[in-house]
Amino acid sequence: MLRTTLVLLGTLAASALALAQDYRIETVTAGLDHPWSLAFLPDGRMLVTERVGRLRIIAKDGSLDPEPVAGVPEAFVAAQAGLMEVLLDPDFAGNQWVYLSYAYGTEQANNTRLARGRLVEGRLQDVEVLFSALPTKAGAAHYGGRMAFLPDQTLVLTLGDGFDWREQAQNPANHLGKIVRLHRDGSVPADNPLVGQAGAAAEIYSLGHRNVQGIYYDARLQRLYSHEHGPRGGDELNLIEPGHNYGWPLITYGVDYTGAQISPYTELPGLQQPLLHWTPSVAPSSLTQYRGALFPEWQGDLFASTLAERSVRRIRMLDGKLAGEEVLFEELDERIRDVRSGPDGALYLLTDNAEGRVLRVVPAD
Amino acid sequence: MSSKPRLLLAFVLAVLLATLLASIFQTQSNLAALQALGAPMPLGVRLATTCLDLFGFAPTFALLAAFGFVFALPLAAWSARRLPSLRWAIFVLAGAAAIWTALALANALAPMPTLIAADRNLFGTLGLMASGSAGALLFGLLGRRVRYRAQPTPSASL
Repeated sequence: MLRTTLVLLGTLAASALALAQDYRIETVTAGLDHPWSLAFLPDGRMLVTERVGRLRIIAKDGSLDPEPVAGVPEAFVAAQAGLMEVLLDPDFAGNQWVYLSYAYGTEQANNTRLARGRLVEGRLQDVEVLFSALPTKAGAAHYGGRMAFLPDQTLVLTLGDGFDWREQAQNPANHLGKIVRLHRDGSVPADNPLVGQAGAAAEIYSLGHRNVQGIYYDARLQRLYSHEHGPRGGDELNLIEPGHNYGWPLITYGVDYTGAQISPYTELPGLQQPLLHWTPSVAPSSLTQYRGALFPEWQGDLFASTLAERSVRRIRMLDGKLAGEEVLFEELDERIRDVRSGPDGALYLLTDNAEGRVLRVVPAD
Repeated sequence: MSSKPRLLLAFVLAVLLATLLASIFQTQSNLAALQALGAPMPLGVRLATTCLDLFGFAPTFALLAAFGFVFALPLAAWSARRLPSLRWAIFVLAGAAAIWTALALANALAPMPTLIAADRNLFGTLGLMASGSAGALLFGLLGRRVRYRAQPTPSASL
């Protein structure tokens, strides 16, 4: 009898929780060509990048300004290359600086670049290139391109290995397969981990990455999380520490797209293990943390949008530890390029296609 | 066995030999790159990885080799009959060209710059092409026997 009662109570509690998590997905804006990144302006408008090289403004009512923001640096656009992240300066209200990551160069010689400009009356002014990842390489794959500010107002930018240059992720002399850290003006912080190391690129913050497309700084726990695409399997969520080596391609939980072994090892001394890995791949495309008020049960959880799984992974956090996952929004059946915790408490998504949309997730009631 | 099934068998064996050699080469090329980065590579790990690739990677390469050989080997056999003194050179070149073409096509169609890791540099590409040459040579050898057996004997022609 007692057991039956407990089971009933448990079922009721689970049902109540499920009801509390019920949500509704609204379309805020449609008609975006492969939207990549979303930023919330202090006045309630939004900035959104389109991979094809445009920066767009969305009004508070969701209407899309038909004119793209002028003055945006020209991006190299092909396959995975193009305009990627948009990020506001921590002091944006005072200085109007907007940071953009994008692919630069040509089909035969390209990589990731960081620039900034002041957003004044719908156009970028005083645009300056802050950083260009080197060496340039051929092809149009694996650019990284996500950014986050750390509490000291330095900026971390994620990069990729260019696909064909995976061994270079272990080479501290270049930027392939690295996360770099810069001052807001592009200069190198004196306390970067490899500063002063002969032959090392001073911008490097961490190394041994494949294609990092999600990064988020949790200010409460003072942790920098990132996730990266594995090959076939082996997508990783990592806790980033300065100077640490995350192992690609010496260790991986994935195999090559051809089925070939990339490495016989999943762990080796001196190389960091992921907090979790997704095998088979989900293709994680952005990372955020929910800090809104509309979904109290999501408070503090990490959210990773995915391309291959066509979902958002909610990574539950309990007392600073990972406490399971939930797959959300599969009913959309769309590649999700970006997920953001909005200032209004809603969760915002970008769908990745030629008719991409900005979606807003709010409680059902 | 009549000539058609034997030719088919020769084709299959050519694909299998090219695939076997290419898979082993691809594994060693990959492990050498990891070793250069400092990874330990004892014999047991090397053998185990080679075996895993024979199951995981070889089927992909077999498809590429079969695609290339379908065009290259009949053409090579036809050319070799007209230029018998260049028979072996023709098969060597045909096998290499078949693999090069299949790799180039795969790279053009695949979303990534280079589908097969060993194909990322000239030495690796040449190694994979050499595997194709070995397979084509086997086809040339078995094909020649088919041709001789198919010839009528003088007594039979009377």
